[in-house]
Amino acid sequence: MSMQFGNNRPDSFSERHRRGFLQDLGLGFGSVALSSLLQGDSTAHGNEIAESELKKIAPKAKSVIWLFMIGGASHMETFDPKPQLNKLAGKTIKETPYARVLESPYLANERVVAFDPNNGFIRNEIYPLQVGFAPRGESGIEISDWFPHVGECADDLCVIRSMWTEDSNHGAQLQFHTGRHRVDGFFPTVGSWATYGLGSLNDNLPQFVVMGTPVADCCGGRECHRANYLGPQYDGIPLDIDSDIPLPYAAPPGGVYQEEQAGEFELLRQLNQISSEQFPTDEALRARVRSYELAFRMQTAVPDVVRLQDETAQTQRDYGLDQPETKVFGRQMLTARRLVEQGVRFVQVYHGSNGGAGQWDNHKGLKAGHTKLCKQTDQPIGALLKDLKQRGLLDETLVVWATEFGRTPGAQSSNGRDHHPYGFSVWMAGGGVKGGMTHGATDEIGFHAVEDRHYVTDIHATLLHQLGLNPHELVVPGRQRLERDFGHVIHDVLA
Amino acid sequence: MSRTILAVLAIVLVGSNLRADVDYESDIKPLFQEKCGACHGVLKQEGGLRLDAGSLIRGDESPNGLLDFDQPADSELIHRVATSDPDERMPPEGEGTPLSAQQIEMLTQWIQLGAPSPPDEEIIESPSEHWAYQNPTRPELATDIPEPWSSNPIDVLMFDQWRQSQLAPVPPADPSMALRRLHLDVTGLSPSREDQAEFASDPSTDAWRQRIDRLLDDPAYGEKWGRHWMDVWRYSDWDGYKDALRGSQRHIWHWRDWIIESLNADKGYDTMIHEMLAGDEIAPEDRDVLRATGFLARNFHKSNRDIWLDATVEHTAKAFLGMTIACARCHDHKYDPISQREYYAFRAIFQPHKIRTDRLPGQPDTAKLGLPRAYDADQSVPTYLYVAGNEKNPDKEHPLDPSVPEIVQAPFAIEPVSLSHEASRPFLRNYIEAEDIASAEKQLTSAQKALRESDDKQDAITLQQVTVAEANLQFIRQRWAATKAKIIGVEASDSETSEERTSAKDLAVQAANSERSLLFQRSLLEVLKQRKAVAKAKESKETDEAKKKAAINAATKKLAEVEKKLVDASVELVANDAKFTPVGKSYPSTSSGRRTALARWITDPENPLTARVAVNHIWTRYFGQPLVPSVDDFGLRASQPVHHKLLDWLAVELIEKDWSMKHIHRLILQSRTYQLASSATVESEGTFAKNAEMDPDNLFFWRANVRRLEAELVRDNLLVVAGTLDKSMGGPDIDFKQGETTPRRSVYFRHAYEKQMPMLVVFDAANPTDCYRRSESIVPQQALALANSPLAIDQSRTTAASLSAEASDDPAFVTEAYAAILGREPSDSERSACESFLTHQATLLADSEKLSPSPGAAKTTVPPATDANLRARENLVHVLFNHNDFVTVR
Repeated sequence: MSMQFGNNRPDSFSERHRRGFLQDLGLGFGSVALSSLLQGDSTAHGNEIAESELKKIAPKAKSVIWLFMIGGASHMETFDPKPQLNKLAGKTIKETPYARVLESPYLANERVVAFDPNNGFIRNEIYPLQVGFAPRGESGIEISDWFPHVGECADDLCVIRSMWTEDSNHGAQLQFHTGRHRVDGFFPTVGSWATYGLGSLNDNLPQFVVMGTPVADCCGGRECHRANYLGPQYDGIPLDIDSDIPLPYAAPPGGVYQEEQAGEFELLRQLNQISSEQFPTDEALRARVRSYELAFRMQTAVPDVVRLQDETAQTQRDYGLDQPETKVFGRQMLTARRLVEQGVRFVQVYHGSNGGAGQWDNHKGLKAGHTKLCKQTDQPIGALLKDLKQRGLLDETLVVWATEFGRTPGAQSSNGRDHHPYGFSVWMAGGGVKGGMTHGATDEIGFHAVEDRHYVTDIHATLLHQLGLNPHELVVPGRQRLERDFGHVIHDVLA
Repeated sequence: MSRTILAVLAIVLVGSNLRADVDYESDIKPLFQEKCGACHGVLKQEGGLRLDAGSLIRGDESPNGLLDFDQPADSELIHRVATSDPDERMPPEGEGTPLSAQQIEMLTQWIQLGAPSPPDEEIIESPSEHWAYQNPTRPELATDIPEPWSSNPIDVLMFDQWRQSQLAPVPPADPSMALRRLHLDVTGLSPSREDQAEFASDPSTDAWRQRIDRLLDDPAYGEKWGRHWMDVWRYSDWDGYKDALRGSQRHIWHWRDWIIESLNADKGYDTMIHEMLAGDEIAPEDRDVLRATGFLARNFHKSNRDIWLDATVEHTAKAFLGMTIACARCHDHKYDPISQREYYAFRAIFQPHKIRTDRLPGQPDTAKLGLPRAYDADQSVPTYLYVAGNEKNPDKEHPLDPSVPEIVQAPFAIEPVSLSHEASRPFLRNYIEAEDIASAEKQLTSAQKALRESDDKQDAITLQQVTVAEANLQFIRQRWAATKAKIIGVEASDSETSEERTSAKDLAVQAANSERSLLFQRSLLEVLKQRKAVAKAKESKETDEAKKKAAINAATKKLAEVEKKLVDASVELVANDAKFTPVGKSYPSTSSGRRTALARWITDPENPLTARVAVNHIWTRYFGQPLVPSVDDFGLRASQPVHHKLLDWLAVELIEKDWSMKHIHRLILQSRTYQLASSATVESEGTFAKNAEMDPDNLFFWRANVRRLEAELVRDNLLVVAGTLDKSMGGPDIDFKQGETTPRRSVYFRHAYEKQMPMLVVFDAANPTDCYRRSESIVPQQALALANSPLAIDQSRTTAASLSAEASDDPAFVTEAYAAILGREPSDSERSACESFLTHQATLLADSEKLSPSPGAAKTTVPPATDANLRARENLVHVLFNHNDFVTVR
């Protein structure tokens, strides 16, 4: 919900007249009172959506925690084991019984931004798995030995092993968030659509929060969590949780007294009150008054939510806050739980940024690289899932683990794998998604997604559906969305 | 759109009980346009069916059996949109998404009401009848318009419309508000106390006019309006990953400076278009003009020429013509009469052009300074239509000639342009030779100086460095002599004597010889240096034998390499050819003339779009609401505007007054329409209420719209109020990270993908990839930025100090602060709230021991006042910077 005036934006003047009282509440960060008013109400944007239409989808989830591994995690060494690779190691793909993968029409899906002479090739010499696997939980989903803690939550996971994308370079990071290839330009991201469609459950916090170092400018940059034409009120707001001032400008500079600022805000309130009497129909003024009230409360609420010392020592240990490898991501996972607990709608956490393509991009040294990166994330993610579950939050929180593409079954250099857009894995947990299941499959060597293939926007559609939104209703007049942008809800995975 | 007013009209016109929530104009017509328009409109009539007007849907003239008024839900129309049978359903698969249940319900209701639509709804027979494709003509002005509305044509046209719609004009804005509006709208900077006092002291009617003239002459006008046009023309500083350029160009700020200077000089809009699209053909040697081609350079895309050209086509057409030609890239345009072939023919106009960076005086390294500019590189590259827009599938059978869409009937004639030597060989500019020789001389002088100051006058290396510098200077001189002789020779080829030819050849051989000699001397220098390195390695005091040995080996190996090069260079010395490294790159000596032809076609008075699109942009920025809502699309989807006459009047005026934009600005600013109040006073309450009932959305501009300051102006006005704004103009883009500490105007800071000032972003700064119109959001981050940024606090402190010098006591300070920051006097209740705040805040601050410091780590530049009273004043100023009125134009 937002206050808009002027221009190509969804809510026209008359729309605001009609929905005056909602508008009054509606700001970038939403409104407490909206939780009941707007349950499933995505119509606050002037789209012609009938109430009845919306109520067809009852929300299963209230919030999303979106974990994104930057650089391209190997699907075969995480959630899609391919023992055939060990048997065929050293052979070229052509020499194996699976040579047909090189003739597949799916290969034509690849679109490149720019030819890269070093990366983004099909690698022909089969490279064996760099880690062991085991069936986990009662469901027996096979998960790599690099993920023992996540493995303990196997019965809550829904692993989708049949993802595909187009970009064979790291522009795929942007593509995963907007559904559009890098050369098509910038579009609203999945998190911004979700927050655009939903009211917030907490006035005092941003409703779309970003943690971790964002995608680098090579690969989409901040456009991976921005709202583009939906406007800055739907941008993901980066929180620097290791700082006393987690949000930009969220506290006065040093040397200013808190009481001094409180005095200023009180005068401002009085003066704006006087203006409101002078301009009783000025809706922008009313919205601005409210934006200051929210801003003032956020100054306290945001530091509070990241005050992890309030958690028990046991909880802190569970998330790995006591170990150097897991501390950073552990803090982010624990904050993520605290945020959704407070009603934040969309928490996007980046892992593995290195100012470039990303640390998961193991063209060489895959074993060492993935060992380290999985170690950094495994225990914190496991702790998050268990913690959410134990607090009864997992049912209403959809956790997504994703990466921009997988890695080649063949070797690059002597000990790495190249980019692989033709087949890779993501998983979801909670939020009304079935646990303990896998969906879709790649072929025997993990090359192509062959069964129940899903383009990246199918994840968006499924997630939005669980939040009670119909992706097709998320449109803004004057901004055309392609059929593919909406994606398809993966009904098979819904509980 | 004004749903209410149109709904009211519809009721009156069709006499039905149409409920305001199913309205033909705002609900039904757009739905048909979106879902059916492409196949059942004026362009195409699949199945002989046209559905782009109420009478056509009902089949008034020729029955189509679509609607069943007795059983609306059983209508064929409803059946076809509601069915789940994919063979039957409209729109068909791939042509659009099915109608939602609510849309179907709405349609049914409309049928139930008798499918009413205005009887005078326009139905055009062919696309060329579309209003925007007709040449604008100057409308006749009503002659019975009363004073004071009769003297300015804008007022005449507006008044006429108000009269017809029974709207009463509201009074003009309070003079202080009007003055603030005027200053902010023209220069982007609020009026100073002096500006206000002077205006208040001159009650003559000429004061307003004089102020307009003065502001339009202020260079700040170019900076304010430059930013608007930079939005429309997609200005972006260079974009890149780390230091590698990916999009736009380094030093493209030259184009920004050209925009600002051109606006200030009131260069004709037609000339501006000519220079931006074809400056390199129109004035190939004029560096000032070449800057304009930054418009093209901005589209540069490192990795993909197709994206580069597509962006050029799309945005040239949108910016100047309001034409969405890009929709015809993959197939014929669905809504406008533009074929896919026309898209690619338009693209052929740009096919030969590329971007290069010319060297500028004083800096040989174009990475540090240079002029990015367009030129035609290769005219022989054919243009193909890409089947279904797929670049992998070009239709090579049918190469396309450059041309423009036929729907615009204006002359388009291509004539190749031949370029002078100076234009095609940019190295021939005189400063380059002078700088090259001066640089070689400097190198020699410093080598000689090093020798003089050396303890060992016989040191081989120092001596050889002098030799190299001498050889270099000789080569540089001879190379220039040979180059110029050759080019003059070419120029004089008709009358050339054999002596001259020989002489040029001899000079070339000399230059080649001296280059060979230079290379030899350089190689010799390398050898001498490396011998010394080997000796040093051998004498090293390194105790680790293995390390020492490795160092000696490495140095010896390198010595062998440079000795080999020396041998090669000495072998070369015997050569006697005329080949030497050229002084610079030569480019084609003719340009295709395609872009000049395009620019002339765009600005031809017969082109019905250009002037209309331009005046619509100007109007939008003064009134907060365009005359044609889709500012970048004047195609068939843009219905005839309510203010069509006004649009045309302004367009004709622009063309006839030599495309002077300042003339249009002046006309608008002098109109009473511009000066209207935005909100009611006690006296005008009745008029406002009555008008608002008829036209709540102010479609008829019967009042001014309240607008929010653009992002740049929020920041700039913090600085200008404090008196700290550095008004110096132009120059290289400033790092956006310095936005809080460098007091230049915001327009001069780097603005590109991933390179934007966060404070500007939260206030809806232009999206660097595409921003034909800004949006205005209100979000808490804006509040945080104004409340907590060191910039806002620093400027508050500076402002308070300077205002305090003028104000003896608190009441006087409050008056000064209101005037300086909000451009008006405080009301009584505001005054009393502020005065009481000053007292209480000073008491609070006097006892600072009891106060709790903010946890913030950000640092201010200006320290807070030590005196509690003054600090309270700083706080008051800061509050007023956060006041809604500070960021608002009323």
